[in-house]
Amino acid sequence: MTTRAAWAPASGMGWGTRVTLFVAILFLLCAWAIDLTPAALADLPSQMVTVLSFFYPADMAYGATRVWPALLESIQIAWMGTIIAAVLSLPLALLGARTLFPRIARLVKLISATARAFPEILLAIYFVPIVGLGAFAGALAIGISSVGMLTKLGSEVVESIDMGPVEAVQAAGGSRLLALRYAVIPQVLPEIIAHWLFRFELNIRASAVLGVVGAGGVGGVLLNTLRYRHFEKAAAVLLLTILVVLIIDMASGAIRRRLLR
Amino acid sequence: MKDQAAIRFQGARVVYPNGAVGLARVDLDIQPGEFVVVVGSSGAGKSTLLRSVNGLTPLTAGSITVGGQPVPKKEGAELRRLRAGVGMIFQDFRITRRLSVMTNVLVGRVAHVPGWRAMLNLWPAGDREIAFRALERVGIADKAWVRAGDLSGGQQQRVGIARALAQEPAIILADEPVASLDPVTTHQIMRDLVRINQELGITTVVNLHFLDLARRYGQRIIGLKDGELVYDGSADSVTQEDFKNIYGRDPDAGDMLDESAAS
Amino acid sequence: MSHLRDESEEHDTAAPRPLRPARNWALILGAAAAVILMTWWSARGIGFSLVELACNLPGGRRLLVESWPPDWGFFPRLLAPLLETLQIAVIGTVIGGLLAIPIAVLAARNLTPGVLVWFVDRNFMNVLRTLPDLFWAMLFAAAVGFGPIAGALALTVFTVAVISKLWSESLEAIDMAVPEAVRAAGGSWLAMLQFGAIPQALPHYVSYTLYAFELNVRASMILGLVGAGGIGMVLETQRSTFEYPRVTLIVLSVLVLVLIIEQISESIRRRLT
Repeated sequence: MTTRAAWAPASGMGWGTRVTLFVAILFLLCAWAIDLTPAALADLPSQMVTVLSFFYPADMAYGATRVWPALLESIQIAWMGTIIAAVLSLPLALLGARTLFPRIARLVKLISATARAFPEILLAIYFVPIVGLGAFAGALAIGISSVGMLTKLGSEVVESIDMGPVEAVQAAGGSRLLALRYAVIPQVLPEIIAHWLFRFELNIRASAVLGVVGAGGVGGVLLNTLRYRHFEKAAAVLLLTILVVLIIDMASGAIRRRLLR
Repeated sequence: MKDQAAIRFQGARVVYPNGAVGLARVDLDIQPGEFVVVVGSSGAGKSTLLRSVNGLTPLTAGSITVGGQPVPKKEGAELRRLRAGVGMIFQDFRITRRLSVMTNVLVGRVAHVPGWRAMLNLWPAGDREIAFRALERVGIADKAWVRAGDLSGGQQQRVGIARALAQEPAIILADEPVASLDPVTTHQIMRDLVRINQELGITTVVNLHFLDLARRYGQRIIGLKDGELVYDGSADSVTQEDFKNIYGRDPDAGDMLDESAAS
Repeated sequence: MSHLRDESEEHDTAAPRPLRPARNWALILGAAAAVILMTWWSARGIGFSLVELACNLPGGRRLLVESWPPDWGFFPRLLAPLLETLQIAVIGTVIGGLLAIPIAVLAARNLTPGVLVWFVDRNFMNVLRTLPDLFWAMLFAAAVGFGPIAGALALTVFTVAVISKLWSESLEAIDMAVPEAVRAAGGSWLAMLQFGAIPQALPHYVSYTLYAFELNVRASMILGLVGAGGIGMVLETQRSTFEYPRVTLIVLSVLVLVLIIEQISESIRRRLT
């Protein structure tokens, strides 16, 4: 089970043991650095239980009045962001495919890698002062961040298809555009739409969080409830969020499975 | 009109970017309405020969004329016009599986209708009629609206043939059209190609791997070796000696489709 | 060509042409309507306005100009928080990675000891995945106080969610011949796991753990926004006081850090395969 690396000393310590030892020492150093002492660890369960007890019962009236509209706003932010990203990423995915556009693809891949590097919340930090507090900033942040990922995934789908039919359309006298329409798009569209849907699922989670920097949605509500230690209200936020995310995950998953059959 | 179907190779030479020689030097005349079978071992240049006719593989030197017109060297409207008159059939069928059979066949009409109609899948009645007739000629009109990927191999190749027919081409090029099919279907497809050539007078050039098929269905056989013409004669007069010239060795069972035909 | 006549295979050209099957208009129009409605509702709800975007662009330009160049002099103040960010990521990954092992195993249909256990574990895993990591950070910050421990706990939960989902799928794909052999030789369920199942999926485990570590380094920069320690806390103070050149510096530093970690992680993962 443990393989010997060529440079391992003959002292009988295998690869696996060395790695485990390294990780253990690293862990202990870090734990010491952040004061994660055994004493602190022992305290944790009781702290958690104390807090959890405050969560029950959840204030569902608050849930209906304050949480629900905020959740709807998060859904709207995620939807708009995903739509923006989907619309922009479709042509970019085609342009970013090495098999279709060898010269432009490198540039497109670079752009999408840059867009991918920024978590949505960082983009939101910049967008909020530009377009003002609120959901619009959040949607833009999610849109730009998602474009990067959707373009990369879309290009990968396009690069993986059978290029034979593309040549067949051209052999019949069709232009490159017609080859795209009759040989590329039919092969890739279901997969690409499935990627959009999965991105929507992820964006719901992302948009829920953006409220923390003032970009709308339920995150700000949660932060406030915790700040004022209104745990029963926080419980309402959590319960409703979990519910909505689960439902969206299930619906989106079902549609995706049907698309890819 | 008849001359449109003639193909002439003059000093045709293809050298790939990595230095490999596809065609060394080919001089060849194919008359309108001929049924020509090209044989040779793998890498002898059969595919290159076919693909240079419709410009999919550009020539490095020499020229090819189709119907008296030279094959354009660059991609563009002129090359597309030429390709509209040359139908191609591929070993791997190359149809779009997710689309219906009908849509696949209509792709053969792309060069004959305005671009916007083709993009929107709004084909005039005349073109749809041509597509249906092409399907009827290969006997799968009843499958017109079936998802192309749901058909058997032989049926999918028929879709490919119908697509080529829908172009109303003067020439049909078939690059190992039966290599992926079982023996029974192979004979059906070969008979279809011969029948199309006889009934419609379309110049047909077919690459084949199996010798017995070549002898059985070909009128004229062209043998290629290392990118050069080493045999050009009728199917009946191919000898063992000729075979050795083309393949560089004696024939064995692997060169025959029907094992009983192995000599 | 006479030899063609011995096969009497004639295509039936007289067969009637099939009509085009009616498209499922209900489905197509319904889906299109749903998407359009959803988009219109969302756009209104968030105040989407291209006009407003265009008007705000000069302001945006000004902001970006203000944010650049980064406040390099501020960098020394970042070193300790960046280190803390890494420490949080390490702890979260290690603890989360260890906890993920039993959770992934119980969620693997081919290895789980019982259907009820599997069902509970599966749903537990899903619930963990529904809440974004920042939510966990907020919760833990409220429970144990602001600081890196809250962040480490939040990342632990996040790591468990990520690794257990991915690794349970790997476990379900292993070759069951060896574990069954262990059982047949009289081994216990644990022995089967230890000798039969886990070794096969070990490379995947390491790969997913490294991946989780990458994600955690990214995430830990944000956790501080809600008080869970690390560079995020500095980010929050600078952001709320509109010190954008410093914000840019922080963002750049984190990006560089993430890039370095990704390179190291990539090279380790490549050595595995």
